[in-house]
Amino acid sequence: MIRYWFMGVAVARKEVQQTRRDRRMMALLLVAPLLQLALFGYALRFEVQDVPTRVVDLDGSVDSRRVSQQVLADTTLREAGRSYALGEALEALAQGDVEAVLLFLPGFGRDLLRGRTAHLQVIVDGSDPNRANLAAYTVAAHGAQEGGGARPIRSRVLFNPGLVTAHYMVPGVCAMLLLLITTIVSAMGLARERERGTLEQIMVTPVPPLLLMCGKIAPFAVVGLFDFALAMVVGHWGVGVPLRASWLLLVLATLLYLICTLSVGLWISTVSRTQQQAFMGGILFMMPAALLSGIMTPVRSMPPWLEPFTRLNPLRHYAELLRAALLRGASWSDLQPSLLWLAGLGAVMCLFASLRFRAQKG
Amino acid sequence: MRLAWVRIAALADKELRHIMRDVRVLYLALAMPLVMLLIFGFGVSFDVEHVPLAVVDLDDSQASRGVRRRLLSGERFDDGGSFGDVDGALAAVVRGEAMLVVAFERGFARDLARGREPGVQLLIDGSDNSTATQARLWAEQSLVAAIKAVGRDGNVALPLEVRPFLQFNPSGRSAVFLVPGIAAYVLSLVAVLLTALTVAREWEEGSMLQLFVTPVRHVEIVVGKLLPYLGLGLLAVLLVVAAGGLIFQVPFRGSPLALSMLALLFLVGMLGQGLLVSVLTKNQMVATQVATMSSMLPSLLLSGFVFPIESMPRVVQFVTYALPARYFVSGLRGVLLRGNGFAELWAEMLCLLAFGTLVLALAVLRFHRSRP
Repeated sequence: MIRYWFMGVAVARKEVQQTRRDRRMMALLLVAPLLQLALFGYALRFEVQDVPTRVVDLDGSVDSRRVSQQVLADTTLREAGRSYALGEALEALAQGDVEAVLLFLPGFGRDLLRGRTAHLQVIVDGSDPNRANLAAYTVAAHGAQEGGGARPIRSRVLFNPGLVTAHYMVPGVCAMLLLLITTIVSAMGLARERERGTLEQIMVTPVPPLLLMCGKIAPFAVVGLFDFALAMVVGHWGVGVPLRASWLLLVLATLLYLICTLSVGLWISTVSRTQQQAFMGGILFMMPAALLSGIMTPVRSMPPWLEPFTRLNPLRHYAELLRAALLRGASWSDLQPSLLWLAGLGAVMCLFASLRFRAQKG
Repeated sequence: MRLAWVRIAALADKELRHIMRDVRVLYLALAMPLVMLLIFGFGVSFDVEHVPLAVVDLDDSQASRGVRRRLLSGERFDDGGSFGDVDGALAAVVRGEAMLVVAFERGFARDLARGREPGVQLLIDGSDNSTATQARLWAEQSLVAAIKAVGRDGNVALPLEVRPFLQFNPSGRSAVFLVPGIAAYVLSLVAVLLTALTVAREWEEGSMLQLFVTPVRHVEIVVGKLLPYLGLGLLAVLLVVAAGGLIFQVPFRGSPLALSMLALLFLVGMLGQGLLVSVLTKNQMVATQVATMSSMLPSLLLSGFVFPIESMPRVVQFVTYALPARYFVSGLRGVLLRGNGFAELWAEMLCLLAFGTLVLALAVLRFHRSRP
């Protein structure tokens, strides 16, 4: 038993030294996480602001001016000039100079004064429906307040009251980061040994294949855990993402997820002959896995026939789990389904990868 | 001059033979964009539909049940269960089984009948902020409409009514918005990879040295090598745009000529970037990595494909001006959705042209220097 332990440690040590000597690899392991976190935590937002808006005021009354000023006082819309004909404003919309047009028809002020329903038209560039809808309904919300009427519905946003994109993204970025690092780096590490022929040398040592495999991937698991901790630290203290879950739960989930990603990496390395193929294989796995995981766009919006496939994606379960645990403070029993999925996927992927690995050695 | 063209044609012919012999390159250039367009076109969407909505009905009256039925009748909200108290509903939200909670307070029907403000609360799970923002707007609106329809005074005149209209995309489908972005993403990846791989291979295998001893000039090598890939890339653009129109009903309102021009300039830039990467690295392995990272990440994250550029901080917005993907995405949207032509898109084209010229010039310069 002790003998096997020493063998495993020796293989792991060799792997650590080899990785440390590779400058590019070290850069990938340390710089990539920070870069991605900075990008997602700081630069990328779904929040809608500064929508350039053209005002077409065909009424020219006190009320139309007041309402347009009120609407534009928000940070969502920004005035981008005035037009005196609708055609001119629509042209600006088509050219992409403005993204919204506020149209006050003649009689707007008169209707408002006489207590009849006045109509304000908002024409929004629908090329980005997300942005367009939000801009339009910001104006609509102003409309509802007109006349002193209170907002009829009291609504409250839970868990992320500021609706900050970073709080939503950090769990997803963490999942992507771990995938990038553990899958691609481990796949390339093994493929490099095959390229240089050193894999054969290791294969003839008395280390059993399973132990060899574990020793080889153990350092990457440690790196993965380190990057996870880094992401949590930066996410919590840098970006302000709440930490409402127990550390034990987070670490366990991360370990299960790492088993999945490392197995995929191992599997890719067994089917590719060169480092380049391993890298491409990793990218080809990563792109759809990242886009179809609910990290950037919700799984709920996908067509029903696609949804079952996303269940086979460990990224989806891990990102959902992290989001639930960090933001909503979900407990063990709430997260049981996700944990079970991760464990199941990890077991199956690990089995496949080790079978391939063994078959190759034999 | 005539001779130069002959030499370029010969080089292009040689490259074409390489491509025809290597099925993987053809697959990478033509099949992969289509497959990715299909996967992403179906999978990537912001359309807010089937949001699970839980109801806490403390009133349990005909009116509250009527409002609930109305809310759940459309495509937008799915039944997320009924709960006896708010805590139960919140637990469902924590588990991720519900995203919205509508709570009817006791006396809802009575207040509604008397014309007083009825007690309804709306709770939204904010953990997915983009869906939450939209779901909140829809829920508030539908709730007001449902309450009005159920209540006695069905037609209270509002003092001010806002009529929104989404120009160019009236039904607000996000496929229309995302497909141009997907096209740019896929094409930049493929174009950079293609050149980076093939040229770096020639360096590695030493056949580039053989080219150097021929009387062909460097510019001619560069042009001759790029031409076949340019053709392949244009074919890929055509495929992607056609598939986008046929499968995802993305309109084509602008000038086809402007689209071809945009695609041509963008491809020249991306192919040039790939070439530059491979001349700089001279190693397939490194070239693949640098090419992927330098084309995939910016075109996915900073091009305005998913995340609007206007919402980025100023510094990052500044960086996006240096990315060709930004101009291609906005130009493509202009042509397809807003019906733009040369008159509106000349600025985008100039920027793409500048980028392409710069990268190609750098690549040719590096060729000079790296000649042994």
